Amino acid sequence: MALSPGRSGLGAGPSPAPYRLSWRILDALEAVAARWPARAEGAIRWLLLLPALLVVGLLVFGLLVMGDASLRVMDFRTYRLSEQHSLANYVRLWGWGAFHATLWRSLGATLLVTLLCLVLAFPYARALTRTSSARLRRLLLVGLFLPFFVGQVVRAYGWLVILGQQGLVNQVLGLLGLGPYRLLFAYETVLFGLVQYMLPFAVLMLAPALAAIPEEIERAAASCGASPVRALLRIVLPMARPGLVAAALVVATLTLTDFAMPAILGGGTNDFLANLVHDQFFRTSNAGLGSAIALVLTFLGTTVAGLLLALAGPGALGVRGAR
Amino acid sequence: MTSTAEAVPRTRAHAEAVPAVEALGLGRRYGTVWALEDASFRLERGQFLTVLGPSGSGKSTLLKLVAGFERPDRGHVRLFGAEVDTVPPHRRPIGMVFQRLALFPHMTAAGNIAFPLEMRRFDPREIPARVERFLELVRLRGLGHRRPHELSGGQQQRVAIARALVFEPGLLLLDEPLASLDVRLKEEMQLEFRRIQRELGVTTINVTHDQREALVLSDRVIVMQGGRILQEGEPETVWRDPAHPFVARFLGVGTMLRGLAEAGPAIRIGDRRLPGRAPNPATAPRPGRPAVAALRAERVRIFAASGSPAPGTGFACRVTDTVFEGDRVLYELIVPELGEVRLRAVDLDPGGHARYRPGTQVTVAWSPDDLLLFDASLEPGSDP
Amino acid sequence: MNDPSFFTSRRRLLGSATALAAGFAVPAVLRAQEPAKPAELIVRAWGGVWVDSLKKGVSDPFTAKTGIRIRHDLTEDNEIKPRIWAAVQQGRTPPIHVNWDTTANATSSALRGVCESLADLPNLAKVLPLAKPIGLEGVPIVNLYSYVYVLAYRPEVFPGGAPTSWSVLLEPRFKGRIALYNDGIGFHPVAQVMGGGKVSDIPGNMEPCWAFIRKLKEQKPLLGEDPDFTNWFQKGEIDVACTISSNAREAKAKGVNVAWTVPKEGAKVDTDGMWIPKGLTANELYWAKRYIDFALSTEAQQVWLDGLGLPGVAPGLRPPADLVGDPSYPTTEKDFERLILIPPRIQAEHTAEWFARFKEIMQS
Repeated sequence: MALSPGRSGLGAGPSPAPYRLSWRILDALEAVAARWPARAEGAIRWLLLLPALLVVGLLVFGLLVMGDASLRVMDFRTYRLSEQHSLANYVRLWGWGAFHATLWRSLGATLLVTLLCLVLAFPYARALTRTSSARLRRLLLVGLFLPFFVGQVVRAYGWLVILGQQGLVNQVLGLLGLGPYRLLFAYETVLFGLVQYMLPFAVLMLAPALAAIPEEIERAAASCGASPVRALLRIVLPMARPGLVAAALVVATLTLTDFAMPAILGGGTNDFLANLVHDQFFRTSNAGLGSAIALVLTFLGTTVAGLLLALAGPGALGVRGAR
Repeated sequence: MTSTAEAVPRTRAHAEAVPAVEALGLGRRYGTVWALEDASFRLERGQFLTVLGPSGSGKSTLLKLVAGFERPDRGHVRLFGAEVDTVPPHRRPIGMVFQRLALFPHMTAAGNIAFPLEMRRFDPREIPARVERFLELVRLRGLGHRRPHELSGGQQQRVAIARALVFEPGLLLLDEPLASLDVRLKEEMQLEFRRIQRELGVTTINVTHDQREALVLSDRVIVMQGGRILQEGEPETVWRDPAHPFVARFLGVGTMLRGLAEAGPAIRIGDRRLPGRAPNPATAPRPGRPAVAALRAERVRIFAASGSPAPGTGFACRVTDTVFEGDRVLYELIVPELGEVRLRAVDLDPGGHARYRPGTQVTVAWSPDDLLLFDASLEPGSDP
Repeated sequence: MNDPSFFTSRRRLLGSATALAAGFAVPAVLRAQEPAKPAELIVRAWGGVWVDSLKKGVSDPFTAKTGIRIRHDLTEDNEIKPRIWAAVQQGRTPPIHVNWDTTANATSSALRGVCESLADLPNLAKVLPLAKPIGLEGVPIVNLYSYVYVLAYRPEVFPGGAPTSWSVLLEPRFKGRIALYNDGIGFHPVAQVMGGGKVSDIPGNMEPCWAFIRKLKEQKPLLGEDPDFTNWFQKGEIDVACTISSNAREAKAKGVNVAWTVPKEGAKVDTDGMWIPKGLTANELYWAKRYIDFALSTEAQQVWLDGLGLPGVAPGLRPPADLVGDPSYPTTEKDFERLILIPPRIQAEHTAEWFARFKEIMQS
């Protein structure tokens, strides 16, 4: 038996070292593993997947229940859903101006917030992955993770404090002899709050993709005669596409289904679809119409995600079997 | 501004006179550490220069300054007579092959090769034919449609070479592109580099830590250590007359002996005086001072203990290890007469077997010309 | 259903009951037959001043008298409702014993048939007729007090005295500085009058109401819920609002200079009540009823509603000092004449429809 150099000098003769407890545990585990029937490995794999599958399954079940409810009309004389199925709720949505307005507002915000987040997250993620200064990197990381400790609702209320008539911004403007201005309760405020909320997600999704692009590649582009801008457009952005798509996917689906920002910063006149769903379920107790809107929202979210993935081409998320 | 490529003189007579690359007292500092100090050299057109050194010797920094990826803190770089200190890398007339090749994974081989042509505004009608020509030059005809990950390691190397050369740059930089290859492929690619470089006549700077590669490829060699250039010259010269004990060691000298310098020149070890040769006056030991002597393993002749060489020139020794390598045999010997010093010797014509087993007593000898003497203060305390 | 006009409802609201001593007088005979006491009862309540005053005026004295602990569940009224409905539908035990609820919201539960009958509460005979819900069969809900959706304003923007008409909401200087409830609740009858319509046309023809709300939309109103109004007055975001008087009173209590009035066109009055979900065991049902019965007593209401600043249904209540003669604390016939009550059942049956119209205007 070969002794480790650390122990060879100790004492006379090769007296065995004390056998560590952690080694014993590992030995025992290996002994069990050795006896494990090979057949069971597949079963174990499924067993480990089971909780996730169960959660997804429950989600599908919930969708089915909502699908059923969406086909029943609420009778407000008895506050019960009709026995017979019809498309009446969907027909009603089709003709309801508030639904159309809310739908386009949600989609518009999704597009704008996603684009803005990508544009803003890119330089941040790049600085994070490229800077040679450890201090700057630490600062950027703190700036990235700090917002995660502050929930969305708390942050929205924070903006109320900062952007209000007597808020920080208006106080500063007041010192300059300006304002006060109404900065809250507009579509722009909601967009602002959403961008601020989603930005860390976008950076987090983008940073690994950018980190995976070796600096050498950019030098290679330069040595090929590409200016920094052309290197960015022709080399870096195409190579960062999986990260851009992943970031867009997260930001777009979270924005499309967001509830808190429009509720708190929108001043009541900038609802998104999720607010409409909430109102139907909890304000007017119309589970039928609420389910119909919820399903439309689910369909839209799936479509947006599908479009983004199609845009990225298969393999964008690094799943095997693509490329 | 006009690109440096245009700044390259057009008239042939003038072109002959101006060197391709001139480094004038280059220095580069990271924090408080000078990664490169006072580096000067001159490279004529069409020549192949290898910068040789271990990691941390400053050779990569030197390359970055020439390529323009970093700016010197001191000194200047001139390319074809024009000072390029403020010229960004993409405007320098330089093609480069990188250590990890840095092929663009989202483009085909042909796309990679066409990229510099597009960036450097070549006539779009001319690009496909040129790409074809260079695919042919690097022997990748018919593989242009493949993505980098669909090519073998050697094929990827060839794409990288074609991409670096397709716009016919005035200067080609090689940043250890062969470092990660296995021996067979490395030797094949070395020959390939040489062929292509000769064919195109492109001035080349190659950075490597592989002394064999340096000798195989180069017209000129620079050996670096600790951010400084120790020696510059033709491969044979550097090999034969290393100007510094580090150069001797890095080029594969087998043994370093320590002793005191004597006039002659010679080195005294114990009570033996060994005559030798000081290859460079600047690094020669002064008599009475500590000296080191480099002895090349392949210049050590081995005789059976009985078959003694000329009287007074041989040393009796004991074989401690024998390494049979097929075309040669490596011996490790202990020489009691020189204070139990360990010596390496190579038998380059073993005739298919190792003549001497460990424990055997033998006699070794060498010519004074092969014992290279240096001032010991150049070699801080290390024992080979 | 028959369509009770608001006039009749107003009369019923006005019908004053004889002041009877309420208290917790249960005949000794009944006491002997009392079923087993549960360890605790769960009462859903609103947070803040609402639960504090309930605890002080009703829950704590109830515990002192009966030994039954009261736990307050602060789940929002809108959110507890679907859970109760689901529990009743599936035959499970409901999550709470007593639900403190707006009468309109409670009515939807009554219509769905998930409420126990409260017709046999002894104190019901002694309080204002307003305590019994209008337009519903039996007594599935007991109303406990009323409240008014007043015009709240900042006195410094009305140096000439309190505004006299809801039309101030349309003044250009208040663009972006007015606030309503985000479902339009509390404002429909006023809007109907302002739009040139008649309250009696509700719910048949509400076009005048929607026309006025469309005009209001041009004023870029903020839309919120109870705490928002207090907050917005406090932070200087708004100058005028249609809100429940309690919110304005709370803002005032926090030192904000806010006043309120009932303009000449009138203001909407509503009630809150309590009800018991079906599915409780017999003894829990009994003690839950005793809890509501106690909440109807003058003893309990005097303390509880002083905290809220709202007029209760129990006889012989003394208004809080700061609300004597206040239009939002109606006591006299003259006070009540300017208040508009929409029967909860009409509200319950049309909430969704009105909500949809309101959203349609405000969200586009």
